[in-house]
Amino acid sequence: MTTLGVGPADAASPVEPGERRRTTPARGTRTGSLPPLRGLLPLVVFLASWQLVASRLSPFFPPPSDWASALLDLSRSGVLLPAAFATVITFLLGLVAASVLGTVLGLAVGASARTDRALQPTLEYARAMPPAAVVPIATLLLGFTGTMKVVVVTSAAIWSILLNTRSGVRQLNPVMFEMARSLQLGRFERVRKVTFPALLPSIFLGVRVAAPVALVITLLVEILTQVDGVGALIAQSQRNYEFAQGYGLILVAGLFALLVNALVSMLQARVMRHRPPA
Amino acid sequence: MTVERSADVSSAALGTQPRSVACQCRNASVDLGSRAGPRRILGDINFDLHEGEFVAILGRSGSGKTTLLRVLGGLVDPTPESVVTFHGRPVAGPPQDVVFVFQNYAASLLPWRTVHNNVALGLEGKVPVAVKRARISESLATVGLEARAADYPWQLSGGMQQRVQLARSLAMRPRGLLMDEPFGSLDAMTKASLQDQLQQVHQHTGATIAFVTHDIDEAVFLSDRILVLDGSPATIAHEIPVELPRPRDQLATKELPEFLRLRRQVYDAIVETGD
Amino acid sequence: MTSATAVLRRTNVLGVATMLLLLGAWELLIRVGLLDFQNLPAPSAVAARAQQLLASGELMTNLLHTLRVTLLGWVLASVIGIGLGLVLGLWRPAWRWSMASFELLRAVPPISLVPLALLVFGFSVRTELTLIVYASAWPVLVNTIEGVRTVRPELRDVARTLHLSRRETLLKLTLPAAMPSIVVGLQLGLSLALVLAVVAELVGNPSGLGNALILAQLALRPEEMFAYVFTIGLLGIALNAAFRQIVAWTLTSAKPLPGKVS
Ligand SMILES: Nc1ncnc2c1ncn2[C@@H]1O[C@H](COP(=O)(O)OP(=O)(O)OP(=O)(O)O)[C@@H](O)[C@H]1O
Ligand SMILES: [Mg+2]
Repeated sequence: MTTLGVGPADAASPVEPGERRRTTPARGTRTGSLPPLRGLLPLVVFLASWQLVASRLSPFFPPPSDWASALLDLSRSGVLLPAAFATVITFLLGLVAASVLGTVLGLAVGASARTDRALQPTLEYARAMPPAAVVPIATLLLGFTGTMKVVVVTSAAIWSILLNTRSGVRQLNPVMFEMARSLQLGRFERVRKVTFPALLPSIFLGVRVAAPVALVITLLVEILTQVDGVGALIAQSQRNYEFAQGYGLILVAGLFALLVNALVSMLQARVMRHRPPA
Repeated sequence: MTVERSADVSSAALGTQPRSVACQCRNASVDLGSRAGPRRILGDINFDLHEGEFVAILGRSGSGKTTLLRVLGGLVDPTPESVVTFHGRPVAGPPQDVVFVFQNYAASLLPWRTVHNNVALGLEGKVPVAVKRARISESLATVGLEARAADYPWQLSGGMQQRVQLARSLAMRPRGLLMDEPFGSLDAMTKASLQDQLQQVHQHTGATIAFVTHDIDEAVFLSDRILVLDGSPATIAHEIPVELPRPRDQLATKELPEFLRLRRQVYDAIVETGD
Repeated sequence: MTSATAVLRRTNVLGVATMLLLLGAWELLIRVGLLDFQNLPAPSAVAARAQQLLASGELMTNLLHTLRVTLLGWVLASVIGIGLGLVLGLWRPAWRWSMASFELLRAVPPISLVPLALLVFGFSVRTELTLIVYASAWPVLVNTIEGVRTVRPELRDVARTLHLSRRETLLKLTLPAAMPSIVVGLQLGLSLALVLAVVAELVGNPSGLGNALILAQLALRPEEMFAYVFTIGLLGIALNAAFRQIVAWTLTSAKPLPGKVS
């Protein structure tokens, strides 16, 4: 439902709540001019001066060098890697589940106006539900388990995929399917060779928005429930007043987010290879 | 030309032998849903297409030409009492050996497949790989696009894309082609050259062709017979045989008095249907 | 009477029926005992509890708190986001010399800052507000920059031929043209504000819907939990609908024809 600050909060994305008219999936990567690297200067200056004056600040703001050493300690004690692994697994499972379910549901509501109408209020409501509110309910029903984490992530990441698939289905040209039938393609072949590849850009556009959401929600569940993962470590460092460790882990979360964005962009470039430019 | 069917069929195409019936349409009617419930679009259409015959279908916009063609192609179901057969079998779904050529070539070509792979689409898994390859290059050669096999359709011009669609149909070795305004959105030069190519394909494959068009010259130039649809629901209002010598030439044929007479006749038939 | 039928025609009867059907099925499954998640209450029990909470005023108090903080945080975030966005979007040197820093900062999920904010600001409304403002300023900022940077060059030429001053250009051309993009950012920011409010209340701030939800959890009262969760969902829907309505009322003229503004 929300990008929670990571990833493209782009105006062209057709996932805006209720923006049913804005359904043209913006094809292709939003190349937009990348900002020049010299723009990093303020951040560097900021961090450097933080490093210099940190000792005179309160203990709330340990110098960046401490963040690094805290992280090193964490990884030496064998905590960091398993946590990172747990986060990645939850993120991936949630994203995959969201992709599969979102595509199937998107196909269902996209292909039939009646199904769409029938499910619309329910889906609309479910979508408006802040994922944070879902967490206590999920722990209530599923316990403090890995399954619970994946379910929460899926329920938050599914929307952009569902909506993009739906608008993708609606934009499919029936001629494509008539052509396939006229060429004697069987039902299964039509799905594999026509429907799926035709929908792939739409589905992927959804995944592109869903991936950062899935990561953020993974961290959210972990912070709230403290079931494994980097998020749980972040919450623990708060409990133990480990400021430096907290900052270090936030950095790790940021790195994850950058990595996810880069991966998604790469995947998207692959998916959109050989497609007509927008 | 390499796309060759069998000798007897192509001679049938030349009209030297009695032709067997390829497609039969008896009391064919079609109801399509509109906001006010089903509406009869076609009422009681009767005609035969003979093996190897080239039939043009004309009529005013909205008269039901596309619908009729889609019925023949098994893309629209006629009313239960209608009898529509292709090659002796009742049409239920797209018939074997019959390929539909769409006006909207852009939508009918898959943008994620190369020209080669688009042409391969109907052959995959149905013929051995070597045969498939041979047929693809053969049909691409027929439409003069062998050099563009590795390109993507969206990298080609409109006329080229329509030729890819034609090549894809030809690769299926169809006995019937159903073409819905295939050259409708092309410029005059491209259109003329595609007409010539289609004529050659027709002569060499002996396929039965039903060809919807708005262009009277095109209909007269290409066809053996012209059907004019009219009415609401539409029926066949006129049937005009075209007995111009083949092969036909863009200039010479179009200067024949017979051509001009037919052109006149068809024009009158269509204008008359409007009143 | 005519208005009643009009309303009836506008409501998605099928959709509402489906929703009721789902709720009915849930109720039935609980009653029959087919659905035996230990802690899953029946909708009727949830409704009853919600009624009690409403009557006692508890629900309203919490709702108002969350609503107030969400809106306040969102407004602050919007002012910051639009202001900074205009600077970065219109003044090239600022963009060149700082955008990369912002992009990098933006990558840090605001959620991961929640525990830290708790440490620094304590269990207070201040934490909640800070988080909301920080998180929801991002989409506003990004979309404002995007909006003003992608104003079509033709518009700029129009401004030049009409001899508009810089101020006029900004107010009469750039801003209206960027408005659709900014509106999208504002909308994203609003739903984010609610998310962060709930998160902050869940983990620490001692009031609001999220806090009530956590208290219900600690007290092992599933009906109450569901009552609060449904309320949060309704709040989400209501905020969204209100936002869209206000946009529709105020910005109809600014809404560009399709494709006019990228
Ligand atoms: N799917 C459909 N549902 C309902 N009515 C349809 C449908 N398709 C076509 N019609 C109606 O059937 C009639 C004939 O349409 P058709 O497309 O066959 O005309 P046409 O002769 O091919 O027209 P054109 O020359 O403009 O292509 C029209 O009145 C049209 O409105
Ligand atoms: Mg038509």
